[in-house]
Amino acid sequence: MKFAFFPGCVSRGACPELYTSTIKISEILGIELDEKALESASCTGAGVLQEKNQLLGDTLNARNIALAEKQNLPILTICSTCQGVMSQAEYRLEDEEYRAQINETLAEEGLKYTGKTPTRHILWIIVEEIGEKKFKALVKRQLEGLRLAPFYGCYLVRPSKALKFYEKTERETCLEDLTEWVGATVVDFPGKTACCGFPIVTINEKASLKMVGNHTSTAKDLGAAAMVTPCPLCHLNLDQYQDRAAWMMKREIDLPIIHVPQLVGLALGLDPEELKINKHVISTKKLLSEISLQP
Amino acid sequence: MYEHDILIVGAGLAGLRAALESIEAGKNTAILSKVHPVRSHSCAAQGGINAALTDRGDDWEDHALSTIKGSDYLADQEAVEIMCREAGENLIELEHMGVIFSRDEEGRLGTRRFGGQTVARTFFVGAITGSAMLHVLYEQTVKQNAQVYEEWFVTKLIIEDGECRGVIAMDIHSGKLEIIKAKSVILATGGAGRIFEPSTNALICTGDGLALAYNAGASLMDMEMIQYHPTGLAGNGILLSEGARGEGAYLLNSNGERFMEDYAPEYLELASRDVVSRAEQIEINEGRGIDGCVLLDCRHLGKAKIEERLGYLQEVATEFRGIDLAEQPIPVKPTMHYIMGGIKTDFMGKTDVPGLFAAGECANVSVHGGNRLGANSLLDTIVFGRRSARAAIEHSSQVNSISKNIDELNNETKRIQNIINRSNGERSATLRNEMGEAMTSGIGVFRDTRSIELAKQKVLSLIDRYENTSIDNKGKIFNTDLIFNLELKYMLDVALTMCVGAENRKESRGAHYRTDITERDDKNWLKHTHVVKIDGEVQFYTSDVNITKWAPEIRKY
Amino acid sequence: MVQTAKKTIQIEIKRQDPEINNGESYNQVYYVGVEDWFTVLDALIKIREEIDGTLSLRCACRASICGSCAMRVNGQAKLVCKTKLSVVEKNNKVLIEPVGNMPVISDLASDFKPFWDKFNAVDPYIKPEGEVPDGEYLAPNDDMVHLVGVMNCIMCGACVSDCTVLEVKDNFLGPAALAKSYRFIADPRDGSQFERLQDLEKDGGIWDCTRCMQCIEVCPKGVNPMERIMSIRSKSMENKIDNNYGARHAKSFTDLIKSNGIVNEVLLLLKTKGLFNIIELIKILPIAIGAQLAGKRPPFFSHSSKNKDEIKKIFKKLEDKE
Repeated sequence: MKFAFFPGCVSRGACPELYTSTIKISEILGIELDEKALESASCTGAGVLQEKNQLLGDTLNARNIALAEKQNLPILTICSTCQGVMSQAEYRLEDEEYRAQINETLAEEGLKYTGKTPTRHILWIIVEEIGEKKFKALVKRQLEGLRLAPFYGCYLVRPSKALKFYEKTERETCLEDLTEWVGATVVDFPGKTACCGFPIVTINEKASLKMVGNHTSTAKDLGAAAMVTPCPLCHLNLDQYQDRAAWMMKREIDLPIIHVPQLVGLALGLDPEELKINKHVISTKKLLSEISLQP
Repeated sequence: MYEHDILIVGAGLAGLRAALESIEAGKNTAILSKVHPVRSHSCAAQGGINAALTDRGDDWEDHALSTIKGSDYLADQEAVEIMCREAGENLIELEHMGVIFSRDEEGRLGTRRFGGQTVARTFFVGAITGSAMLHVLYEQTVKQNAQVYEEWFVTKLIIEDGECRGVIAMDIHSGKLEIIKAKSVILATGGAGRIFEPSTNALICTGDGLALAYNAGASLMDMEMIQYHPTGLAGNGILLSEGARGEGAYLLNSNGERFMEDYAPEYLELASRDVVSRAEQIEINEGRGIDGCVLLDCRHLGKAKIEERLGYLQEVATEFRGIDLAEQPIPVKPTMHYIMGGIKTDFMGKTDVPGLFAAGECANVSVHGGNRLGANSLLDTIVFGRRSARAAIEHSSQVNSISKNIDELNNETKRIQNIINRSNGERSATLRNEMGEAMTSGIGVFRDTRSIELAKQKVLSLIDRYENTSIDNKGKIFNTDLIFNLELKYMLDVALTMCVGAENRKESRGAHYRTDITERDDKNWLKHTHVVKIDGEVQFYTSDVNITKWAPEIRKY
Repeated sequence: MVQTAKKTIQIEIKRQDPEINNGESYNQVYYVGVEDWFTVLDALIKIREEIDGTLSLRCACRASICGSCAMRVNGQAKLVCKTKLSVVEKNNKVLIEPVGNMPVISDLASDFKPFWDKFNAVDPYIKPEGEVPDGEYLAPNDDMVHLVGVMNCIMCGACVSDCTVLEVKDNFLGPAALAKSYRFIADPRDGSQFERLQDLEKDGGIWDCTRCMQCIEVCPKGVNPMERIMSIRSKSMENKIDNNYGARHAKSFTDLIKSNGIVNEVLLLLKTKGLFNIIELIKILPIAIGAQLAGKRPPFFSHSSKNKDEIKKIFKKLEDKE
């Protein structure tokens, strides 16, 4: 399985541990990542650029995908937001007229978007391509006793039509399935597909913090030892702003947030340090000792 | 508090239009509705609103003639003239209020063809015209800060010295009954589709205003004229708009034939609804149906047109039947849809009871006579909603308000409490289901002396059994169990008048088609039927039809 | 009509009666015989008519046009008259609750007053300008057809029920009211576009939306409220009503992609808040320090796309287009 790697902006900025852990687990999982194929790619716009100019956003995303198509490679993402924005662009580009209009612009760079291979998040690739049997065979360390709350990130679950949930029904529960495959226990809680508040953290911090506080504290109260998320933007908000959210709620939360590749890495037998799991604001020390892993 | 110049019961198109008129005239106005105004059944009207715009060369008299012919000559011609002449002005007013009517290439109001019309004069908003109009009228009442008794239910009209002086109504949220005094009361409560099963109508269409007026001594006119819409979805009866046929859809039998060629060679699928429904029923009865239905075929219209102009139909077809109208025809059958009959009013919306007015489906002016043309109902609501308000305003300036009658309120409270207190009785739904089945088979697309008699006997026995129904909910707050029981009584009263009208009209005309008396009898029956309650006795009489310039002719499509 | 039921479903309903136990909510389970084609509403009506008449709920048209019957089914807002039971039941069980973000009057009938108050707050009626023509206002059909999409809104409240911002900020106007605003902003006959946009910039307006797409997901009529909010944001910025963090954020984001291809979080933050906005920057400082200590502070001079020129070209071509 070879993919054009689209790391997104944040995994090269505020969440470098995500980039590192992705590379590490891909080797073991047999996922070949071409890191050069998308060197000329741009940010997906994250829905923010699209607010200002939808056509511009779709064109940039079509360009990213066309760059990968030129190399005959499908794109692999590691961020719910990147994935969601690209899936939405692919959905809109199913319209022939719109596609032709955008291809006119791309032609100026010698590129063409066909949409022949849809972009996928590494979480989906694990669940859909690798599958339960093959994955479990690679697991070296069962994470028994780990009580994990899933937090998908809006862009990986909505709109379900653009994300092809009706066809790929596994996507609806992929994070919970993965949790079980690594031997951990899923802590179900009502906010697992809700919003982390990241999009409004610079605009309306109070509301954003309430979201962080609500979801992390609910999961904690239901017994979660950690929360796992496929989105570094969610990670940013849930991890870096958790203390502030806790202070606002006048309670302790202290729920470590880990990335999907870090969870997979632990299960595949990698060292926590390799996965840079110590590089979080909310400490993972206690978590690791609970599952008998030295930090 | 609880005292107004004008009280309007019912917040559908007719009610809201009347309210706007009254508010703009500076009158102390209130609207009362058992549901939030935008939930009123006007929202379900799909196809469009008719109007002859004379500045484009259309002829309102042609519209009037089509309407009168459509009514099988039972409509009062002066009323029809008024409606068709005022249509254009009313339509433009609606557009000025913001309705997003469809446009032609020049940006002017666009049209589609509709049943029984010689030219395209139906103005529309996709397939959601009723909803679009209702929401706009509601927005205008918001703009005017209109007072709304939202989720209140009228249990009785207050009649003093033979005049209507207000209502007794229950606040559904608290269960408390209040007297609401008004110098004029306008009933705009819509139809009574739940008397039948199936029906295209909402669960709230229970003939409340009809029963209230009837029990207050007003006459109900032409109650046997019940419209069966040709294209109701089999099973739950949800409406598929005539707009589909207006855009060119076909009706096919099991042989794939456009059978309307045999019944209406000129108008085909766009003949008047009673003609089409009967045609469908004959095809079904003679073995050319499919599971009791015929097929509505929109495939040749193409996906783009369906999406732009029939979007809501596509939604209904895919969501409720899993059918894509661009790929497959959809089974439909004649389904009870509208009552041409109603509270008798004059051309200004006045009923037999002074101080009591009526407009919209619950009223019978009569503009629809024996059969209503599609897209004329939306017009009717707007034109006569406005006119009834004007009449109500005039009346209100001539009378004083009444003093509060506590006794009447106490009696009514006791009566309601007695219903709540009953136990171990039959469930309301049992009676309603029996009524629905009996009325549909007794007073259906085709009827005869025997079927009408069976229906009537059933209704009479249900009226008896009603006295021993009981409800589960003994509480006060949001007691829909109680509301449903009160609605049942209204429905039974109205159903009886339908049976009485049907048994007495000894001819076939419009929607009232008797297989034992198949001919139209202008000599004896160019008349309106009336059912009225005098001293508790049900009485029947007739009155002449108003003819101005169009002599009755044989109706051919 | 007596129908022989095909199977039995367990329907659990969250109930509440103000006259019992001070309105404390409780769950009640009903076992209902249903047919294959039953919608959730069919089952609820059956409960009401045959089993328990005390169940309060609102329903009218049964045809997804009146908007009365929005409820939460298995935690998600739906119009129950068009929700097939077979699609939502899991192991023959369904959970039904009243819509979220609104107080409850009784059982499944919620108090829509907050909903209607917000609707009223956006001046939801057309405000034409200038002389009133004798005939109709002229308007292109494309504009009217575009508005049908948003006019399809039946005010059912599903979007408001599941809005994640309304859960934490109750003065947010919400998706329904904002979509309704859009309907007037996009109507060529309305003359008050600028005033409406100015109004919507205020607290509780368009910039509170967190783009979680819940409203798009649950809307039973394809109104796409979030996209309408985005369109209003777009129009606001076009009209230079952009002196707020939301617009600055959007502009900064766009500028960073234009100049660098990739977004640098530090620069984004500084540009959004403003380099000289000392108070705001001081507030962020603890977060920045925390990030620094964890080794997560993004570099000031970050990665950029390899082929920035091509990206700039696209921006130049499309930036002022829409």
